[in-house]
Amino acid sequence: MEGLNILLVDNCKNFIENAVNAFSQIGIQSTLCFAENNTEAWSMLQGDYKLSPLPKIMLIDTNAEGINGIDLITKIRDNFELKSILIFVISDVDNDENKQAALNLNIAAYMSKPFEKGEIISFFSTLNDYWNSIEFSSENK
Amino acid sequence: MAKSEKSCQEELSALKKEYEDFVYIVSHDIKTPMRAISNIATWIEDDLGPNADVDILNNFALLKSRVGRLENMLNALLELSRVNRTEMEMYEVNIPKLVEECMATLDNKLNVKFHINYNLSNENCITLGKKLNKVIFNLLDNAVRFHDKQIKNVFIDVSENEMEYEIKISDDGPGIAAELEDKIFSIFYTVNSKDVLDSTGAGLTISRKIIEMVGGAIQYTPAVNNGSIFQINWPKIISLKN
Amino acid sequence: MIQKLVNILLVEDDEVDVMNVKRAFTKNNIKNELFVAGNGVEALGMLRTSIVPLPRIIILDINMPKMNGIEFLKVLREDENLKNISVFVMTTSNEDSDKINAYNLNVAGYILKPLSFEKFITSVATLKNFWSLCEM
Repeated sequence: MEGLNILLVDNCKNFIENAVNAFSQIGIQSTLCFAENNTEAWSMLQGDYKLSPLPKIMLIDTNAEGINGIDLITKIRDNFELKSILIFVISDVDNDENKQAALNLNIAAYMSKPFEKGEIISFFSTLNDYWNSIEFSSENK
Repeated sequence: MAKSEKSCQEELSALKKEYEDFVYIVSHDIKTPMRAISNIATWIEDDLGPNADVDILNNFALLKSRVGRLENMLNALLELSRVNRTEMEMYEVNIPKLVEECMATLDNKLNVKFHINYNLSNENCITLGKKLNKVIFNLLDNAVRFHDKQIKNVFIDVSENEMEYEIKISDDGPGIAAELEDKIFSIFYTVNSKDVLDSTGAGLTISRKIIEMVGGAIQYTPAVNNGSIFQINWPKIISLKN
Repeated sequence: MIQKLVNILLVEDDEVDVMNVKRAFTKNNIKNELFVAGNGVEALGMLRTSIVPLPRIIILDINMPKMNGIEFLKVLREDENLKNISVFVMTTSNEDSDKINAYNLNVAGYILKPLSFEKFITSVATLKNFWSLCEM
């Protein structure tokens, strides 16, 4: 998975720090990129800060403040270049009204957001094993 | 005269493509029932349990190993048929770095001593990086795999002339008997019985096809005190033969 | 936890591959109920008549007779009642075009069937661990 970009859309400092730590501990080769809100995320997907190559994996906290996850995912699904991105939704909210909306947008998974450092490492370890077991197309947009 | 020569060329290209497509389709389609045989053997082994008759278990192990060989042979055929279709990206490579990457990917590096010598003014070049990687890897892999001594010495010498890189990979292993020199590039040919040293025997065939595709050359010469020398000439500017 | 609840529809025409999945599930202690359809047409029938109860996910092969995996996926995504089902492709096809088509139709993963059964057991184990993180 070298050379791949993974975009995390979240503004929770605790989670972000632990994610970076987890990537390093597990030895994940992909580059973890960050966006704090929809605008920033969009600029990295289609705007001035467009990532190269485009990420094939995104993690979005659809319920973080200032992030309208459903909006963002809808825009991604409507865009020819972006629509095939694997989107993993992480949410810490029980009884999430956004959950069904997210599932209707064909996300790869809706997952409960871990908080504790050890849980976050275990979370990314499982995800990393999964990402390593699946094939991606070789087009690098 | 010119017209008939042109149509001969076209016919030749078409035949070549048809041949490669055929090899690809056949190898690809045969894989399915082959996979089934391998899987079913494993299920039966599993169902028999560890206390089954030793002879039966041995026979299953033999069966699976032969299916494994089939798999390797098919993969080699697939690779051979796709040499000029896949991984054809041209990009800048740094030759010493590429050699190092090949060395890193080798299995069984225990007791292998690499002796590397670069005589280059142009270390970087734009070329079919993955193909060059494959060729160097195959030769290094052979040098290590077929070595017969406790300590295995492998020598890598890279130099250049105006038009080409000259990559020499040699070893102090058993070498190859003079009468067999022509055969080693044939597909599936192995000097030793495959029961003695399991190898598909396609590495040199694939390497040679790649080298000929880029307009280069590969030559074997025996080393002075036993051992093999493979010399590759890899053009700096690649003109792809169709 | 999700493994106990979700129903799995395997769309696969090769009986050896169906057996592989069943055995790998057993080896990995996966207790979800497994339904099998031999091609896309049969699968659609089983989904539309609710033979496969909710919640459900699909494991999909690509090379099948009558209606191949990609064609099935297109029809699935155009059906209002079926379009949000999670699909995991499990195939021998290493063709880039199949991968591109599958991800454009938003599969949750594209898995290559390995040649050895032992490796397949490991693949399924990884899938099971991933599923344990997922909520429907």
